[in-house]
Amino acid sequence: MQRLRRVAAAAVVAALAATGVTACGDDDGEGASGAKVLKLWHYESANSAMGVAWDKAIEIFKQEHPGVEVRFERKAFEQIQQNAGMIINSSEGPDVMEYNKGNATAGLLSSQGLLTDLTAQATKRGWDKALSPSLQTTARYSDKGVMGSGNWYGVPNYGEYVMVYYNKDLFTRYGVQVPTTLDEMTKAMDTFVGKGVTPLGTAGAEYPAGQLFYELALARADRAFVDNYQLYKNPVDFHADPLKYGADTFAEWVRKGYVSKNAASAKAEDMGTAFIAGKTPMIVSGSWWYGRFKSEIKFDWDTFLFPGNKLNAGSSGNIWVVPTSSKAKDLAYDFIDITMRPEVQALIGNNGGVPVVGDPAKISDAKDRKLIENFNAISAQDGLAFYPDWPVPGYYDVLVAGFQGLINQSKSPDQVLDAIAKPYQDGVAEIKRN
Amino acid sequence: MAVTLTPPARARRVPDRHHRGVTRWIVLALVTAAALAMLVPFAFMLLNAFKSPGDYSTNGPLSWPSEFYTKGLRTYWEQVDFPVKLWNSTLIAGSVAVLAVLVSLFNAYALGVGRVRGRLWIIGLFLLANMLPQESLIYPLYHFAKEAGLYNTRLAVIIIFTVIQSAFGTYLLASVLGTFPRTLLEAAALDGAGKWRILWRVVLPNLRPTLSVLLVFFFIWTWNEFLIPLVMLIDNQTQTVPVALASLQGDRLMDAPTTNAGSLLSLVPAILFFLIFQRTLARGITAGAEK
Repeated sequence: MQRLRRVAAAAVVAALAATGVTACGDDDGEGASGAKVLKLWHYESANSAMGVAWDKAIEIFKQEHPGVEVRFERKAFEQIQQNAGMIINSSEGPDVMEYNKGNATAGLLSSQGLLTDLTAQATKRGWDKALSPSLQTTARYSDKGVMGSGNWYGVPNYGEYVMVYYNKDLFTRYGVQVPTTLDEMTKAMDTFVGKGVTPLGTAGAEYPAGQLFYELALARADRAFVDNYQLYKNPVDFHADPLKYGADTFAEWVRKGYVSKNAASAKAEDMGTAFIAGKTPMIVSGSWWYGRFKSEIKFDWDTFLFPGNKLNAGSSGNIWVVPTSSKAKDLAYDFIDITMRPEVQALIGNNGGVPVVGDPAKISDAKDRKLIENFNAISAQDGLAFYPDWPVPGYYDVLVAGFQGLINQSKSPDQVLDAIAKPYQDGVAEIKRN
Repeated sequence: MAVTLTPPARARRVPDRHHRGVTRWIVLALVTAAALAMLVPFAFMLLNAFKSPGDYSTNGPLSWPSEFYTKGLRTYWEQVDFPVKLWNSTLIAGSVAVLAVLVSLFNAYALGVGRVRGRLWIIGLFLLANMLPQESLIYPLYHFAKEAGLYNTRLAVIIIFTVIQSAFGTYLLASVLGTFPRTLLEAAALDGAGKWRILWRVVLPNLRPTLSVLLVFFFIWTWNEFLIPLVMLIDNQTQTVPVALASLQGDRLMDAPTTNAGSLLSLVPAILFFLIFQRTLARGITAGAEK
């Protein structure tokens, strides 16, 4: 059902693409100054890090703009994911909203002329200086809607990255040290396997398996590979390192019992709840779990970066966009600027989120501080490598199918690489043709 | 076919309705098992609606709640402003149910009793509206609604579902009215009743049980609709209950206990509605049986 809806949404968006460009000239409230209402939408829950911080931002905005009414509505992720194109192509849309980063979402709408070019504002207000290059990747889109270069169409406010979460209690009980290299990591996992414990939780039916593969591949990768794979600068050879190394190592980990074969059919939620229940010593997954783990886990746990990796799966979070149909653009820019201020960014950090321009000194909790320091370290050395399913539309399902085959050992690494190479190449060819 | 070919089995003892022995018990057991199997998901929903998120994550969905946790229900109620959604859903589903039954009745009267030329094709065309996946209708509907200034209004959804539901209603009622006793209509006509009077005084009373079943079905179907309300109603002030429920599902995270609590709250009105009208439903289904 979920898939069906996605497909339907894609079809709708495609239909929009055909007629959208002409239709969007309807109400051109270009820079309408003197607007007295700011219509603001986002889809973070009220008690999440972003929800708390943005509530504060709204409060600051109201103080600085007396006489302006802020009409905030919390939306369903699903609704924005599916309908953003239709909503902002009408006069009923918001003046500023949170939207999903990426080629298929913000990229597509920007290429249809539905999003406001924020380049001038980014320079004027210093967003281009505040955000590191790998964070800017998801903010800028070419005229074809491909991220990485071109005009600014969005402003990220928070970040996310993939790391290793581990159960400290289990590590102590089995006498395992926190690994700092990939070798130490395999040794640690050997210890667990020797004691009859499956060391690494993952989920073959959703994103975690693909991200684990990508982390392994990134162990042998450099920035040039990421540019080739994600931004199509050069063709990618799937049967050479780093991708070959990633698939081979993944298969080896399965063979050695680091990963349970039952994980082939597991969902991300299963992986997460197994970790919360204290059944798995480690999982490799993203910072989006952090807040939930913090509130729900009762044992002692912590995180470390994937050992030895300079590059890590991760990116900016979702972005603020200003629809072309916005009737209060100047107010929208002001609001975005407020969300970038230190006090708002610190609130994201203090509530278990990852601020994009966070100052670790302002974070009170030691574990939270480490989360942000790690992110800042990755971001500073240009180490955000995005996600494996980003390059081409529909690639998520290809990766899921591929790595399920690897987890249940029905396919060899070579076969899996073949299976994921073709849709990638076809997809890239399609994008280049347009 | 098979019946005519086999020789009539006169020798076999005709079983007495009250003495079927073991088979009756087996059937009873099977029906009970099926009924219980249908209730299992509801039981799980109930179980998890009163569990704290931490409890759910630690002990899984099958465990007994360690405490009676009602914060999920309260969070859902406040977060989505449930009374507003409830009113929207009731308004939309209620209007659609009434309007669609009326439209179906008019259509079916013309097609079934009036014997319009080519009515089979017309009915086929109506059915098409029901068979088309809503996904393919969405973009045109969006476009028309926007042009007509109805985008983001409850009226748009009411109109759309009145048409979609009455398509099915027309099909059903037209076949029912196709077999409506002609003599009754002729008698009424001889007594000097016009078309309008016949509809209200002769046809309607006879159809009442069927119409009330349709009303209940239309209400519940419209209540559960997701895609079209999701696309058409973008303001929190106009949204329906199923759309509100979807707002609990995040990008990468889900909150199972709150979702369960929300489902429970969202289900209650539909169940209440069903229980209230359950008697008419049962009567309607057997209405044709006792001729």
